[in-house]
Amino acid sequence: MSLRQAQPFQNGSAPARAIADDESDAEEDALVQDYREQVQYDQDGLEDLNRTISAQAGSNEGIFQQLGNAALPLDFQATLDTKISSYYNYCDLFHFLLNTAGPLDVEPPNYYWAWDVIDEFIYQFNSFCSYRQRLALKRDNTEEVQVMRDKQDVWACYSVLNVLYSLIQKSQITEQLAAQKRGEDAAAYAGDYGSRPLYKMLGYFSIIGLLRVHCLLGDYSLALKTLDDIELSKKAMFARVMAAHFTTYYYVGFSYMMMRRYADAIRMFQHILIYVSRTKNFQKNPAQYDSITKKNDQMYALIAICVAFQPTRLDDTVHTAIREKFGEQFNRIQRGGPEALPIFEELFRLACPKFITPTPPDYDNPEVNVDPIDHQLAIFMEEVKINMWSPTLKSYLKLYTTMDLKKLANFLEVEPDKLRSRLLVNKQRSRQTRWSEGGLLDGEITNTNDLDYAIQGDLIHVSEAKVGRRLVDWYLRNLARTY
Amino acid sequence: MGVPFDFAEGRPDLINAILNGLDRYNPESTSVLQEYVMSQCESQTYDCYANLALLKLYQFNPPLSRDETISNILVKALTVFPTPDFSLCLSLLPPYTLFPSGTRSATPAAGDAPLAEAVQKLTLLNNLLSGADYATFWATLDSDDLYADLVADVTGFEELMRVRIAVVLSSAIREIQRPVLEGWLNLHGKEFEHFIKDVCEWKIEGDNVQVPLNKDNKAEGTVVRENVKFDQFARIVRRAYEQPA
Repeated sequence: MSLRQAQPFQNGSAPARAIADDESDAEEDALVQDYREQVQYDQDGLEDLNRTISAQAGSNEGIFQQLGNAALPLDFQATLDTKISSYYNYCDLFHFLLNTAGPLDVEPPNYYWAWDVIDEFIYQFNSFCSYRQRLALKRDNTEEVQVMRDKQDVWACYSVLNVLYSLIQKSQITEQLAAQKRGEDAAAYAGDYGSRPLYKMLGYFSIIGLLRVHCLLGDYSLALKTLDDIELSKKAMFARVMAAHFTTYYYVGFSYMMMRRYADAIRMFQHILIYVSRTKNFQKNPAQYDSITKKNDQMYALIAICVAFQPTRLDDTVHTAIREKFGEQFNRIQRGGPEALPIFEELFRLACPKFITPTPPDYDNPEVNVDPIDHQLAIFMEEVKINMWSPTLKSYLKLYTTMDLKKLANFLEVEPDKLRSRLLVNKQRSRQTRWSEGGLLDGEITNTNDLDYAIQGDLIHVSEAKVGRRLVDWYLRNLARTY
Repeated sequence: MGVPFDFAEGRPDLINAILNGLDRYNPESTSVLQEYVMSQCESQTYDCYANLALLKLYQFNPPLSRDETISNILVKALTVFPTPDFSLCLSLLPPYTLFPSGTRSATPAAGDAPLAEAVQKLTLLNNLLSGADYATFWATLDSDDLYADLVADVTGFEELMRVRIAVVLSSAIREIQRPVLEGWLNLHGKEFEHFIKDVCEWKIEGDNVQVPLNKDNKAEGTVVRENVKFDQFARIVRRAYEQPA
């Protein structure tokens, strides 16, 4: 690990660096890190002390040091060589963990260590792929291109997946979680490796890691399928590590959105955004809280997009925050029409994960290397275009119980045939799969629109689904307050 | 109860084993999954989850990728519009396929152009279908021989599309003028009457076609009431026991 340039100043805040790869943010970020270094100095001093003590006791100092280092972020100005050697370091470490004669008898340095390792591992994979892509597009750095050509195996998609799947298998985490779900004792299924916290945690967070990798590759259904064994609740293991909790909901929500299950996406984003805003004051590690602010904003943008697709009454705190952060944009995308398209695009770019392609770009023909973000954006925008007339249409239909098609067409200044198509589109899009129980991919088709209509010849019959007052939430909250 | 996304009726055990195991990443699974796509095309069955797994194998191993199979998968996804399946397939394709070659300089080295053309043509069809512009869909389909080539492998494509269009529109329509529907289904005269009466079991009355009521085209006003589960009160009840005072 001698080649690593990162300074060991931040344990447990690896995702802090997730915001660091935007060049525009670089300077600001350097300041933040500098500040963090000072603030955390005391705390880290103590941890280092603890580390030496326990390492001496366990007499495998080297391993312990390695475990600790694996969770540390690379310096964001790291050279290509450093990135590559970091990959080999991970390979060595995981190889050592998985292929030694028996399980390694070491306690993880702390409860968030396993998350930090997996998070950093995937982060480096992700940024390496993006770097590779940029390199091919710029086509001026022949030296580095040559290095990339020589080392095709570095940060290859197959080896990253291999690590994650191996950790999951070795720790028998899926068996353990399945047993837990059935109400049995998970330990009975854990095996030699899985009964040790080190392996169990690594296996568990590898599942979350897979969710993330699949989503980055554009495989949204497989991403959701991956979480079959994990129950999404505040009691789940990932909820103990704030960054893990946060990341999980972001990727699940995003995948739902790309599968056009907006109701489910909104549910996910809203859950985590409320959770963050409520626990803001209790976060032990202000630096870590700081680091999720950007992801937080991204999720507000995503929830705004989803609400534009499917008008929903949001929780007050979430609604207020969207208004504060994206007030003008939020209004415009809710209004729909062609003017809203650039706003959708802007918000999507701001909030989407940094998509990657699993294969190295074509260095000889830079033109064929389309940025995967543009690719996913193009797919998303087709859907936006198809839906863009719905808001206006709905606002008119709301005013009537019966309406003549031709008359409405006149109001909207379109041909009756076009209007008929728009009515059909809106109707189809209001039928959405919505989760009720079981795996994340399960769900029932429900009408998510408060407006329903049918066309009889030239007559549109409109009906409204009224939502009764929601009392339970209010009642429970007040009960909790008073007693 | 809805059908989970990863479920397909009559999926062979072998395919199931591949999808649920690590073999879904094994390049050797490619041929099995390719044959499965072919059999879906011939037998008018459909398994999106398996097809996505094949596209993922192509994504990881571009040399294995077969343009023909990709376009067959996309055509199959068209037959289940307006589900997001088509978009989900697109997400796994190489990024250059969606962008017209005009934006890239014309390089002969970009030998994959036929795939990009096919993908873009099918995307156009998908957009017409999603936008409920069925008359234009049929016109576009007939406008270019390439379309005929693309859908050729899928047995009964036109029939499948007609049935799908009928299903989709029955969710919003109770009665519709005959000429409009003729355009949407691209059928006229005797064939049209046969399709409406025997396949859909709808009624033709004069110049109108009657679609029977179903749960979607009723458009009844409802009041949504909240569902209260006992679990929600678990904490309150527990409190009551903990603090008897």
